[in-house]
Amino acid sequence: MSSKQLNMVQAINSTLDYALSKNDSVVLLGEDIGRDGGVFRVTEGLQAKYGSDRVIDTPLVELGIVGMSIGMALNGMKPIPEIQFQDFIFTAFDQLVNQAAKLRYRSGGQFNVPMILRTPYGGGIKGGLYHSQSGEAYFAHTAGLTVISPSNPYDAKGLLMSALEYEDPIIFLEPKKLYRSTKIDVPDEEYKVPIGKASVVREGNDLTIVTYGSMVPVVTAAIEKNKVDAEIIDLRTIMPYDGETILQSVKKTGRAMIVMRLREHLVWALKYQHFWQRGLLTILWDQY
Amino acid sequence: MTEVFNGQEEKDVFLRAYSSMILSRMFDKKIVTAQRQGRVGFYTPTIGQEATQVGVSMALNPDDLVYEYYRDVPFMIHRGVPVEVLLDQIMGNSEDSAKGRQMPSHYNAKAQNFMSVQSPVATNLPLAVGAAYAIKHRKENKVVVTTFGDGSTSTPDFHAALNLASVYDLPVIFLCENNQWAISLPVEKQTKVEIWKKAEAYGAYGVKVDGNDFLETFKVAKEAVDRARSGKGPVLIEAVSYRIGPHSTSDDPSKYRSEGITEGSEKDPIVIAEKRLKDLGYITDEIIDKMKSEAKRIVDQKFDEREKIPPPKPETMYDDVYKEMTWIIKEEKGEAL
Ligand SMILES: Cc1ncc(C[n+]2csc(CCOP(=O)(O)OP(=O)(O)O)c2C)c(N)n1
Ligand SMILES: [Mg+2]
Repeated sequence: MSSKQLNMVQAINSTLDYALSKNDSVVLLGEDIGRDGGVFRVTEGLQAKYGSDRVIDTPLVELGIVGMSIGMALNGMKPIPEIQFQDFIFTAFDQLVNQAAKLRYRSGGQFNVPMILRTPYGGGIKGGLYHSQSGEAYFAHTAGLTVISPSNPYDAKGLLMSALEYEDPIIFLEPKKLYRSTKIDVPDEEYKVPIGKASVVREGNDLTIVTYGSMVPVVTAAIEKNKVDAEIIDLRTIMPYDGETILQSVKKTGRAMIVMRLREHLVWALKYQHFWQRGLLTILWDQY
Repeated sequence: MTEVFNGQEEKDVFLRAYSSMILSRMFDKKIVTAQRQGRVGFYTPTIGQEATQVGVSMALNPDDLVYEYYRDVPFMIHRGVPVEVLLDQIMGNSEDSAKGRQMPSHYNAKAQNFMSVQSPVATNLPLAVGAAYAIKHRKENKVVVTTFGDGSTSTPDFHAALNLASVYDLPVIFLCENNQWAISLPVEKQTKVEIWKKAEAYGAYGVKVDGNDFLETFKVAKEAVDRARSGKGPVLIEAVSYRIGPHSTSDDPSKYRSEGITEGSEKDPIVIAEKRLKDLGYITDEIIDKMKSEAKRIVDQKFDEREKIPPPKPETMYDDVYKEMTWIIKEEKGEAL
């Protein structure tokens, strides 16, 4: 089976290329994604290949990009909007929370919004206040949205492949720090990484560490360095997260640690759901 | 109007329009009364906006799409949405296609190509633009109409949508139903510029019409729809009418305004329609009375009939959040039931 060494930008680019080639109803839209190929070059070369009607340079209006995508998704298309930085998504928050997330529910299942919103997020590139935010908790809090974040090029492709067939709105959060940090083998063929399923990236017995996105390599390095026999769980899907995998691991290790680039809120939700409620007593809490 | 219809056809079309206006008016009165009686929780009356909505509806094909707002009962009735569908939504009963989840006046009528109604005003407008993009992408010969009030023109969504539809030359009709009030704020305090003029700033075509007159509105809408359908880009119609009723059944307008147009006065869209149709020789007082009592009978009968339908089962409240129910929602459902 053939494969290539790809970084995350290349893995996403090749998957978008695949999606555009397979299905005429797939369109990409966002700021500077066409002629410029996106500020992180994730959509490089795609407009030249598929035309400006399918890889659409939009005016500078996030709520319009998202609102239009929702309208497309309601009418038989598969829009993949890009928000240039997650920090700039908030004028579109209303469209995400009150339209995208609620359309299936409020119509009794008659309408749905198969949209994949991609956006780079998180710190690590010296971006300061407005090019570094980790807003996943806002989205994870909203019923109706599915929140995904890959931690490596292989998962980025596989999750995106699953997202192409998913029928509800997805917030696909791309850890910008990892965009070009490593290259790994990514198969040329089609494969899927299931949505809602975590991966155990390292097995261990003494401690469960639940993490995702750009913290996965940080945690892995820290464990190696400190010679801790920890089990590392990469959530991959932040909401709905894979509670079963967490639970099985914590039953084995008896200890859990959650590492996220976040304040406590979402951590609290995970804590409550999985550990208090199930009466697991001997648990060590910590957070990054 | 002979340029659009020939003799008998015109008479039929105009009488059907009048009949929709009458049915909407009777429906409105019924629901407002029922709300006062405690039989309905809430309602946003449409009295005063019948001519605007029916006039525009007359210019559309059945497969055109409508991204409407919460005050569009006459529009829906004229496009053939059964009164039962509206009543089931208002009552939130188990026959409601949205399973009783939305507050009254947030209709669903997919069969007649209406989108489900949201509360946050003007958020439907960018969706209509996306819908038009899909239509253009597939080279379909449809237009999209999206409706909103005068107050909604101050939102960012309005400006974003008008700009985007213009940039991509999309077949969108933006129908501003200027009823001159946004709850308690008069339109003069909403904006310094006439609404139809805002189109020009985006390169769209803007037009104002007397929204109390269904024939004037129809004429303008027909031109707008033809224009959009022929690929000339979006149109903003400002149809000026008057919100004869309160904003909603929870609102008391006497706190903030003195009476403007009243029901039955010469500016009432129904009175104007009757005059127009009499002038054309299409209708008599006798026919009018008959049509009114028939509309009232239908509404009364359907209301009583739909009121007997039981509410949705509580467990259905957990469905349709996602295509597949997530384990988290399954747990929440288990805990609640
Ligand atoms: C974004 C948003 N803000 C506030 C409200 C509460 N609200 C409901 S209707 C309304 C006034 C709308 O006025 P207009 O757009 O003129 O429409 P009309 O009700 O007069 O038909 C307000 C403030 C809302 N629904 N959405
Ligand atoms: Mg108004």
